[in-house]
Amino acid sequence: MTRKVKKQVETIVFSMPALILVCMMMYIPFVMSGYYSLTEWNGISKEAKFIGLQNFKTIFLESSDFVQSLWFTMKYTLVFVIASNVLAIALAVVLTKKFRFANFFRGVFFIPYIMSMTIVGFIWKFIFTSGFEKLYEITGMGVWNLSWLGDTTLVFYSVAFVGVWQSLGFYIVLYIAGLQAIPQDVLEAAIVDGANGRQKFFKVTLPLLGPSFTTCIFMSLTNGLKVFDIILALTKGGPGTATNSVTMQIYKEAFTNNHYGTGSAQSIVYFLFVLIVTQLVLKAFSKKEVDL
Amino acid sequence: MSMKKKRKLGRIVMLICLTVIAGIYIYPVYLMFMNSFKPFGEIIADVLAFPIKPDLSNYTYVIDKMKYLKLFRNNLIITLIGIAGIVLFASLAAYILDRRRGKYSTIAYTLIITPMLIPFQTIMITLLKAMNIIHLSGSKIGLGIQYWGFGIPMATFIFYNFMKTVPRELDESAEIDGASTLRTYVSIIFPVLKSVTFTVIVLDVMWIWNDFLLPLLMVNSNNETKTLVLAAYTFVGQMNTKWNYALTAMVLAVVPSIIVFIFLQKYIVDGVVAGAVKG
Repeated sequence: MTRKVKKQVETIVFSMPALILVCMMMYIPFVMSGYYSLTEWNGISKEAKFIGLQNFKTIFLESSDFVQSLWFTMKYTLVFVIASNVLAIALAVVLTKKFRFANFFRGVFFIPYIMSMTIVGFIWKFIFTSGFEKLYEITGMGVWNLSWLGDTTLVFYSVAFVGVWQSLGFYIVLYIAGLQAIPQDVLEAAIVDGANGRQKFFKVTLPLLGPSFTTCIFMSLTNGLKVFDIILALTKGGPGTATNSVTMQIYKEAFTNNHYGTGSAQSIVYFLFVLIVTQLVLKAFSKKEVDL
Repeated sequence: MSMKKKRKLGRIVMLICLTVIAGIYIYPVYLMFMNSFKPFGEIIADVLAFPIKPDLSNYTYVIDKMKYLKLFRNNLIITLIGIAGIVLFASLAAYILDRRRGKYSTIAYTLIITPMLIPFQTIMITLLKAMNIIHLSGSKIGLGIQYWGFGIPMATFIFYNFMKTVPRELDESAEIDGASTLRTYVSIIFPVLKSVTFTVIVLDVMWIWNDFLLPLLMVNSNNETKTLVLAAYTFVGQMNTKWNYALTAMVLAVVPSIIVFIFLQKYIVDGVVAGAVKG
């Protein structure tokens, strides 16, 4: 064996485990999803019946559940992205100031992020029911007596709120890292030029935060589009279909209703939906970044 | 008021505001902990009050009923298997694909990292079928192995970007000295990757330890194979109205992460930031 061939073989051997594993867990199931989306299949029987594009017709025309879940996911993602980024920037600006216990406070905001999202959902279920009841007893304020998980309009905000609460700490630390990377002399130059606090923030800090901003927007976007655990623990998609996210819809269609074919079709549409949304947003943001 | 005094006052006001916000922010977690030391009647009577006589009877009951120690071990096994495979295979692939540039390497690298774009829920239905066929479902080891496939794309991406910054002289000189490629990887490259390996471990431990959907699909049918979060989920479902037991189960599910976090806060936060910036 020549040296060159040996090297080529080595390259293949070393990279093969990663390639095979990724194929097994990701590509093969993905291709199977594509195939089963064209079939009627209950998940148990060996044979799946080929029915062409019928499933796609079903999910878009015959039932409104899927389209509704797409809408919910879009709305949820929009609120989630905006709320978590605005709040995270605000808190990050405060937390980068030098003061005692700064690290302690960062830790406090980060704690929900290290907890399982399912448990976070349960904690808030407890607060929304038992906790709020007691707060109403004490304060007599109407806010605490509203049905935050039972009302079809309010429940949207409850779910979004819990989603933001869980992951805010993550975005805060990313923005803190971004803020610390801004060179001090640029900020000093702005002060020398007579910029006030607000101008300094909006004209200098914010534009220079560009890369962190893009990262956080992208991360919050993909996390928003994937929301599942929190909703399962808090509302199971209810009441009715008020908090039915796409992921929840796919899960129910396949594993509760045993419509694996329709579920696969929804998966494929969901994949394309995520791909298009993330690419569009990423393009829009990468253009706006400011380089130093 | 002088400028200096004004600034000091502003700082104190800010600190007070921050304390209030942080207090409210973490209050639900505090309530969960505190109420887990109360009997059922006390929770119903007053959620906000401190336990009259804090006791551990909820804990002895739940630890026994959930088989907590077994669950803890299951989580540990699954996470360890997952991490070991991800770190080994991803770093190996990243190393060789960066050092032997060429058509094959480009294609292989692209194939490995592209699945980062595939959301898990897109493939979960058929994954279950595929894993049934090759008998990786229903067992702890099988679940650990599955994490390899899901973790490798991102980990390879992170390792590869770091490899690009490792000077080639390092491994070339080892090869001139007669070290084999594998040998070079083990004794030269892998130690150099230390910081980035740490990032990958932090990200993946947090993910695998707390993961819910994949274990729900793969190991939920058997009590022997359940993970911590999964068992807590089932338990809370059964104890729907018995908040004293439900809250205790929730505390037990999150307390390992919180303890680790308290001790390793700086490292965990650094790892998470590095992972997000590179990933």
